[in-house]
Parts: sequence; C-alpha cells; structure tokens
Amino acid sequence: MVYARSLGDTTLTLIVSGKLWRNSLIMMDEQTQTLWSHVSGEALSGPLTGRTLESIPSVQTTWKEWVAAHPDTRVLKKPEEIRSSRYAGYTNDPERVGIFRTFWLQDVMPAKTLVHGVATDLYAVAIADSGLAAGTERKVQVDGETITFFRDKDGGVRARDGQGDEIPVRTAYWFAWSAFYPHTQVAE
Amino acid sequence: MRLNLLLAAVAALTLWSPEAATAQRPEPTVFGVFDADTMYTVLPPDAIPAIREPEYVRGADARAQMMPDEPVIGVAIGDDAVCWSTWHLDRHEIVNDHAGSRAIAATW
Repeated sequence: MVYARSLGDTTLTLIVSGKLWRNSLIMMDEQTQTLWSHVSGEALSGPLTGRTLESIPSVQTTWKEWVAAHPDTRVLKKPEEIRSSRYAGYTNDPERVGIFRTFWLQDVMPAKTLVHGVATDLYAVAIADSGLAAGTERKVQVDGETITFFRDKDGGVRARDGQGDEIPVRTAYWFAWSAFYPHTQVAE
Repeated sequence: MRLNLLLAAVAALTLWSPEAATAQRPEPTVFGVFDADTMYTVLPPDAIPAIREPEYVRGADARAQMMPDEPVIGVAIGDDAVCWSTWHLDRHEIVNDHAGSRAIAATW
C-alpha cells in the first residue's frame, strides 16, 4: 500500500506505531501522533481522526518484471545481507491467518488467496491474482460503474474506472481484505 | 499488505533469545476500539524503524543487489519510477519517500 503523506501544507512522517488493528499495521505520524490504518488509510485515533490518506496507485510484482518495464527505476538501497523474506514461514503456511481473532468470508476463497481489490466509500470489488494472466483484463460491473482490472507489462495488476482513469489497487490476502471490506463483490 | 508483522517480529526475537521469551515477551494490551474492532498495542512506537531518509541505487547498479524473482512494490509517476524490495520492507514496514513531486509512504 502506498499513500500520499501530505495533508494540506503538512507533510507527515509515518512510523510504526507498535499497534495492530484487524491484524494489520497501524502507522503513527510523528507530527501529530495520529494513528493510521495501513490497510484503509483511515485515521483511527488522534487529532486527524476522520481524515483518510490518499492512496497512490502501486503494483506488487517481481524485480525482473519491474526493471524490464522501468529500466531507469530507482530502488531503495538494500543491505547486502538481506537475501530473503524474514517471514517466509508465515507467508507459506495456509493455516496462519492472524494472531488476533478476526472475521472474514471463509466460504468465498481460501484465506491466503492473494487478491487485488478496489474500495471506495460505496463499494468494493476484488479479483484473485490467479485470475489475471499476463496481458489480460477483466471488466467488473459494480454499482453501475465498470471497473477494469488488467495485468500491466510490469507484471502488476492495475485498474481503471469507467472514465479510463487509473484507480489504486490494493493487494492483500483474502482473509485480510474481507475483514476490512466484507461487502466485497468478487470477480468471477 | 503485511499482517502480523509485529507479532512475527516478537516471535522471532523470542527464537533468538529464549531467556527474553520468558522474561520480557510483551503481552498485547488493548489500546482502544475503532469501527467495532479492537486496537492492540504489541510493541513500543518505532521498535520497528521506518525509513525516514531513503537512499537509492538506480537501473543497472541495482541489479547487483536484487534477485530476479525478488518481490517489489513499485510506483511510477510520470518519468519517475521507484521500487522497494518487500524483503527489505520486512525490516522497516514503512518508507517515507517521494515520487514525481509527491511525498509518499510505501507501507508493508
């Protein structure tokens, strides 16, 4: 998830609050101490409660696909010793879906299914990562709007609204997505 | 999206230091409720250090630090493309960054 961290004239510095909500990271800004959900961008507590950080379109993909599409990309400089995920055990275990009790739509898809979702105030729609092969797109009708998910040339999944404008896609495990957006319509 | 990172970090710490596991393992405490769900405190603020002043490598120089199948999160605004390895984000969870002319935060 990528967010704009400017609100009006203030640029926020976001840090790890040490708190969890719905089994996911709560961020805190150093300027106001407001707590922010990393999944929804909502302010959960503090002076800026009621505000929401603007989502910035981003993709999750692999390095080789990203650099092929963006050969002049910047990459965050990484210490040499980091050569693997710290949490592979968690990622690869279908049974580990949360420390705290949480509710999700168990009958729709397996908990650890990777999905790409779009949420606004009025609706949410999601598609399984496996449902979008390279170079393909899928149109979904929701609340009279047509959302088009597509696999971009950099390997990531993006979406456009009915006017052709890009809208931010969030990528998540199904159990996490549906805990936040239980009214989600799932693309077949 | 990362889930349970903080708890996983706590678990990892206890693996490295069995004494700490019994003596100092923090117990989650209830901080509050938002939208009918509980917020828990599991670690002090900044115990996992967000990146505040990112440094980069670019293009060909970046190939040396990256594995081909390494997962990344990427943003492209205009001509400016930037990406972050999720293996790297495991250690920080948040990068305070810029892309194009915008101040952004990559979160994991």
